[in-house]
Amino acid sequence: MRRILLAFGVLMLVGAPSALAQQVAPIVHELENGMKFLLIPRPGDPNISAGWITKVGSVDESAGITGVAHLFEHMMFKGTETIGTTDAEADRRVIEHLDSLKAQIRVHEQELVRQQRMGLIDDWKSPEHRTVEHQDLLDDFETVLGEQKGLIIKDDFDRIYTGQGASGMNAGTSNDFTVYFINVPANKLELWFWMESDRLNNPVFREFYSERDVVHEERRLRVDSTPTGLLDEQFNAMFWESSPYSWPVIGWPSDLYGLTRGEALDFFDVYYAPNNLAAALVGDFDPDEAIAWAEKYFGRIPRGPREAEPVRTWEMEQQGEKRMTGTAETTPQVQIRYHTVADGHVDEPALLVLGQILSGRTGRLFKSIVEEQELATQAFGGQNGLKYAGYFQLVGQAKGDTAPEQVETAIYAELERLKNEPVGERELQKVKNQNAAAEYRRLQSSFGLMVQLLIFEAGRGWDTLNTSGPALQGVTAEDIQRVANTYFEADSRSVAIYYRTESDEPEDPRLAGLDPQEKQQIAMISQQLAGATTEQLDILRQQFAQMEGQSAQVPPENQDMFQVMIELIRERIAELEEEGE
Amino acid sequence: MNVFKTRHLPLLLTVLLVAGPAALAQQEIASHPRDLVFEGLAFDPPDASQSRYELEQGAVAFVVEDHELPLVNISLTIRTGSFTAAAQAKPGVASLTGSQMRSGGTTSLAPADFDEELDFLAANVGSRIGSTSGGANMNCLTKDVEACLGLFFEMLREPRFDTERMDLAKSQSLQGMERRNDSTPGIEGREWSRLMYGTEHFSTQALTADELDALTTEDLAAFHEFAVHPGNFIFAVSGDVDPAAIVAALNSRLADWPVGETAGDVPEPGFEPLPGLYLVHKEDVNQGRVSLGHLGARLGSPDRYALQIMNDILGGGGFTSRIMSRVRSDEGLAYSAGTAFGFGVHYEGSFRAFFQSRSEAVARATAIVLEEVERIRDEPVSEEELTTSKASFIESFTRNFASAQQIAGLFASFELQGRDFDYLNTYRDNMAAVTAEDVMRVAREYLHPDRLVILAVGNVDDMLAGDPDNPEIMLESLAPAGNVTRIALPDPLTMQYPEQ
Repeated sequence: MRRILLAFGVLMLVGAPSALAQQVAPIVHELENGMKFLLIPRPGDPNISAGWITKVGSVDESAGITGVAHLFEHMMFKGTETIGTTDAEADRRVIEHLDSLKAQIRVHEQELVRQQRMGLIDDWKSPEHRTVEHQDLLDDFETVLGEQKGLIIKDDFDRIYTGQGASGMNAGTSNDFTVYFINVPANKLELWFWMESDRLNNPVFREFYSERDVVHEERRLRVDSTPTGLLDEQFNAMFWESSPYSWPVIGWPSDLYGLTRGEALDFFDVYYAPNNLAAALVGDFDPDEAIAWAEKYFGRIPRGPREAEPVRTWEMEQQGEKRMTGTAETTPQVQIRYHTVADGHVDEPALLVLGQILSGRTGRLFKSIVEEQELATQAFGGQNGLKYAGYFQLVGQAKGDTAPEQVETAIYAELERLKNEPVGERELQKVKNQNAAAEYRRLQSSFGLMVQLLIFEAGRGWDTLNTSGPALQGVTAEDIQRVANTYFEADSRSVAIYYRTESDEPEDPRLAGLDPQEKQQIAMISQQLAGATTEQLDILRQQFAQMEGQSAQVPPENQDMFQVMIELIRERIAELEEEGE
Repeated sequence: MNVFKTRHLPLLLTVLLVAGPAALAQQEIASHPRDLVFEGLAFDPPDASQSRYELEQGAVAFVVEDHELPLVNISLTIRTGSFTAAAQAKPGVASLTGSQMRSGGTTSLAPADFDEELDFLAANVGSRIGSTSGGANMNCLTKDVEACLGLFFEMLREPRFDTERMDLAKSQSLQGMERRNDSTPGIEGREWSRLMYGTEHFSTQALTADELDALTTEDLAAFHEFAVHPGNFIFAVSGDVDPAAIVAALNSRLADWPVGETAGDVPEPGFEPLPGLYLVHKEDVNQGRVSLGHLGARLGSPDRYALQIMNDILGGGGFTSRIMSRVRSDEGLAYSAGTAFGFGVHYEGSFRAFFQSRSEAVARATAIVLEEVERIRDEPVSEEELTTSKASFIESFTRNFASAQQIAGLFASFELQGRDFDYLNTYRDNMAAVTAEDVMRVAREYLHPDRLVILAVGNVDDMLAGDPDNPEIMLESLAPAGNVTRIALPDPLTMQYPEQ
């Protein structure tokens, strides 16, 4: 559960648009099986940030198996033939037994689903509709699961890494990729090669069905039980017509119920084959030694049965404005999305800079709609380029009794201004200065650099790290005016308006300006922080220092959330300091 | 045949190219990671004395160079806080002064202009004052360091304390204060401090709405005058700097800045926690939050290493620790459970075991935690637990030195706390020397099952009713010294507690 969250945080940090002034030149080594290694030795810091990425995300799924990419991210921590079991052979037999029981159970379930479709029963999941045979199978399944418990070593993967001083192990799944990462002490690099190649070479997807339920719980926590989770999901599904970006990364609930281990294995064979992977190491290591280990450990994994194919389905051109309204326990707000361009399109740099002109404490939307007109508590916008398509999203949170529609109108007025007159010279220069500085700041942390190398490599290639900066610096006021006129068309936009459902629960006033997803993230972080102890003070202080250092590379639209995060960590540190004194 | 060739040729080439380490590649792959052999990590912590500079007017700086990127980072620690007599006389003044230094502009720049200047330079600047220290920070490109230092020192020395920005901050604080009794973690933290350190200590004082309302920009200016001066400054400078040049730049800005009063000593609580079961009722929650413990130790304690290991095995070590493993993994009673052993700089920290579980299960989970506290005093920890725990401390030690910024910051915190830098050199050896006997000895010496304070926040009726499936364990029967006390929630704005 924790895994997906952290990665989203990281994405937020490194997804920042930026100009590059510093050339990054990793040693690139490709294995014969197609796996690419990007190595940046950084002597001095006695640690190594290590990770790998697979070019698969929810966009590569299809109807019926939505959520499988994310479920895989969970399964990868469940051990291998060596790790996580006391008896691999007995464990394998149990898993096969479970699969065959599940297949028989599924026949009964499909019959119940049919009955529900015909209106004969209300809920196919409720036990009273089950036949005796069905219930017997379910009981058998539980019994076998119980037997398996004795064969499983819980959290073995975590335990081995932790005992060797590794830290920060995590992973994340997005629309376009799945990434796994960790920090290891400089002398423990071989452990990383052993552990990571083992889980790619000899994976055992044990606890598959219970992990499927864990993901179901995660969905409940992150989507169903958050104020705007379901609305946001439906807005996204409404915005995309034919594109696979229309379904959520976590998947539709009915697909999560239905996924089989066999489907997961097919998925693994294609997308977790070495020819679909890239790895990156940044830190204190000898590149020759690392290459030798790469050959030794990852070289033994055979190339996949076929190459992963690019997504075939294009988004259909939108024929008119789409609108939805909903109510939630949230600040009344408006979200506006325009179809724009995919990551790497020639117009993307201008759209990114345009977003920065609008956003942030000294950006146009805040100054005009929040400070001058006092219509909103928060307003921002930005370009999101995904691999196959992209969009520009604007958000405004209504203040007090202001109708969200008024905020919407005020946002359109700012877009019109961008269409009609070029942005000012100093305004543009300010954004460029921030981008130039962000180019350096994002290289400060070895961990951040490792993750960026991987994400860029999975997208347009790692060299994007060197080319995206100059592209942003080259944007002119005319470019911005041109893309504003090209993409901000009423016919290509989707609008969601959320009204407030009254609730007694008062909200932290600092969260007022954040969007629902951000609030959710903040809620998760607060929970984690509440659990932090004085023992973890040093780690928190480090995190705090790192985050402060990184704050300029956070995209403007995320600045407010980032500041709240910093503030929460600061408060927790202060609390713990008092506690520890 | 074609496949055969392509499969082996590149590997051969690599072997030729990397003659030395290639020998590794030809060795068998270990069947389990425990069979891997690692070279020792030759790492000596950097020497603080090489980085330490005494500046004009009593200020100190640590400068750690790193020229990889053209960035300069300055983090200033200020010896002050809400503990000072000046802050105690005007409750809330320390924290508001801290945030308003950055928000309120300077004598020459209005708040919005100050924001704009910093944004144009792409500089990150902030300021704050907490309970026992304050601080400010700046991060900018090397080429802008002069301009940024100018703005940074203008903020430090001549903040404007703008009324509008102060009023905005006050209204935000007030909204936060109104929510004080809403979240159980907030209540738990507040009441735990009061139970540990009493109601008179500065660390347990909560600001009231009237006190906040009464603060004026003159108050902020006066506290700033008292607290923010070079005599209280410790700089941590890192990044693309020449030490001599940056020291000169700082000195030129400090030289004519008069040294003011010292902050004084942080007062000790002088309070002995009263053992017992303390209950705080929240009607609408289905989860109980429990804290259980007593005073811990001081930072300088010679038993620190053994205590850290003891705590790690008992409940500090996450999934591998005993309490987590029993309460969460075995019994499924809580999502989060563990312990923290606090080492205070100025007075004893607290030892606290904690968990959150559904109301009915609170009694059972509490009983398990109590058992584990007894067990670690009664029998030596296993060799495997000891080895894993020591290794995780020793092996992750280098993470403290992952960047120049971290190193400079670490040195500055040692300076603030008056700690011996040699601690860093001997840390790993001291950890390695801890034995199972040491762990049992410190558990007996520092854990006192007869002196426990148990704080439970949640639906008290449900927590006391317990679990119908385990009627033999009732929360009240676990109350230390038979003392069961209910704590009513205070008024969130006046912080007056109702008479019981």
